[in-house]
Amino acid sequence: MNAKISLRHVRQEFAVRPAKGRQSIDSSPLVVLDDFNLDVRQGEFLTIVGPSGSGKTTLLDLLAGLTRPASGQVLVDGREVTGPGHDRAVVFQQYALFPWRTASTNVSIGLEGSGLNRRQRADKAREYLGLVGLSGFADRYPHELSGGMKQRVAIARSLAYEPDILLMDEPFAALDAQTREQLQDELRRIWTETGKTIVFITHGIDEAVYLGQRVAVLSSRPGRLKAIVDVDLGERDNVEDIRSTAQFADHRHKVWTLLRDEVQAAQAAGHRKVLPDGTAPDEAPAPQPTTAQRSAA
Amino acid sequence: MSTLTTPRPDQAATPGPAPLSGQDSPVSPTAASTRSTAPPALRRTVATAGSWLWKSAAIILFLALWEIGPTYLASASTRVFLPPLHEVLTAGADLIASGQLQTHIAASLTRSGAGFSIAVVLGISLGLVIAWYRPLHSFLNPLLELFRNTAALALLPVFTLLLGIGEESKITIVAFAAFFPVLLNTIAGVRTVDPLLVRAARSLGLGSLSLFWKVILPSAVPTIFTGIRMAGTSAILVLIAAEMVGAKAGLGYLITNAQSSFLIPQMYAGILTVSLLGLLVNILLVAAEKHFSRWRTSINA
Ligand SMILES: Nc1ncnc2c1ncn2[C@@H]1O[C@H](COP(=O)(O)OP(=O)(O)O)[C@@H](O)[C@H]1O
Ligand SMILES: [Mg+2]
Repeated sequence: MNAKISLRHVRQEFAVRPAKGRQSIDSSPLVVLDDFNLDVRQGEFLTIVGPSGSGKTTLLDLLAGLTRPASGQVLVDGREVTGPGHDRAVVFQQYALFPWRTASTNVSIGLEGSGLNRRQRADKAREYLGLVGLSGFADRYPHELSGGMKQRVAIARSLAYEPDILLMDEPFAALDAQTREQLQDELRRIWTETGKTIVFITHGIDEAVYLGQRVAVLSSRPGRLKAIVDVDLGERDNVEDIRSTAQFADHRHKVWTLLRDEVQAAQAAGHRKVLPDGTAPDEAPAPQPTTAQRSAA
Repeated sequence: MSTLTTPRPDQAATPGPAPLSGQDSPVSPTAASTRSTAPPALRRTVATAGSWLWKSAAIILFLALWEIGPTYLASASTRVFLPPLHEVLTAGADLIASGQLQTHIAASLTRSGAGFSIAVVLGISLGLVIAWYRPLHSFLNPLLELFRNTAALALLPVFTLLLGIGEESKITIVAFAAFFPVLLNTIAGVRTVDPLLVRAARSLGLGSLSLFWKVILPSAVPTIFTGIRMAGTSAILVLIAAEMVGAKAGLGYLITNAQSSFLIPQMYAGILTVSLLGLLVNILLVAAEKHFSRWRTSINA
């Protein structure tokens, strides 16, 4: 098995400060990912769904090298990830464009210091803006662009330095339905044209089934791989509306069922997001849910 | 959980980047100023003129009152201390003709310019260092708060004792007064950089140094310029006050000297010059601030 990305027994935890007015006896960390294993094939389009707070963003940060796991290994091409690298690119939900830079210089920022001169970088930027359908907008600032266009720029930026892997964290969640579907189709086209390995996080089941070759379903926290659903929708090119086919509905239902159990488990455990000040007031005591979920999964 | 509600068969059939439709479609870059016809343009001109008139009305009224009030309303003794506008303007013209006003303006501008420049350079560089090293910030912050809340003019006697009544003490007090707005705004600007942008930059492979120059500094620039604008205003205010206490040239000196020599219209001419100068400096700095904060419009939009 030669996987592009491998996660081996990955565990990630965060220190949680005790909530105000509570005894700080259980200063145990918040375990977000526990014994997480996953392989992603070269050139695969993998989508990941999971309940809110199940550790999807945490997982993506690990793959991007923005954080290191508490234990376990994150491997890309068999080598351990020690930090961000030009073999991987991230697309964030909130676009994360640099507002003082034009579309063109946003796209080429990853190329600065790579030996290309300004002209060559601008050419590269133009090429990739063209790829995402934004030719002619090179000199626009982010505030002059719509949400969909900003995310196109962000995608162009992540492609510009030609990474093998595209890591996307709910990239289309903030867009309206029409723009989202448009970008989904363009992403599939780009994937077909460039052969990148794509890990795409979403909370939309339809999106996961529509885009992914496989859909990974995460359990509620601590996140584990609950199941992987292979998506086989048959020949796509001749079907007018793939989303209305029986196969699509089947896959959708399968993922939905898997996810529903986890969302209920998350609610039952009273999982809430950790507050910005680092406290988790609604957090149930750590040990019990772990065993309960192990049997559930 | 599903995010898709309406199947759109037409979408699936059109791959390719060409159709930018619906909300995603921008204003075409070429279709900008092709629609304004004459009548609305004329109406707009009239409206602009009207709003300008309304905005300057208060100033015109004030100047008119200044001209008429002392002559017709004030008693003879008050009139001596409150001369009508035209006498002040005449005195100002005489001061310009003799070259005195220019000399005083030059003296004041040199001092405030020197102090202001020192403050900006020191304030930005120290601010960047302090904001970058967290422990240094928490260590220095209480002291900075104390200094910031110490009125610069309260320290004038100290500077005069240490540096004499010459240029050094005046430039120093201007620098002191202008330093804190720049410093504190620089620190605030660096510390409030959007963490998402830092994450994005790191994921793009930027190292610490590039991160600082390409992300943290640019995102702090608007806040830094707000500090620079505040510094410019206080540089002039503090200098005039310092010149009133001890100086042989400068607009502050002109005002107090005219007062003690009983050249009352000259005194007012000095005051008027100070106001106009302050206004001019502020307009320039506000324009600079706007220029460097252009991209921030996104936040308000
Ligand atoms: N840096 C951090 N410090 C403390 N807790 C964190 C941190 N990052 C994430 N968490 C917590 O870990 C859990 C999983 O977060 P996240 O990975 O963002 O979930 P998801 O993306 O699946 O919604 C949440 O409860 C979140 O509050
Ligand atoms: Mg998330």
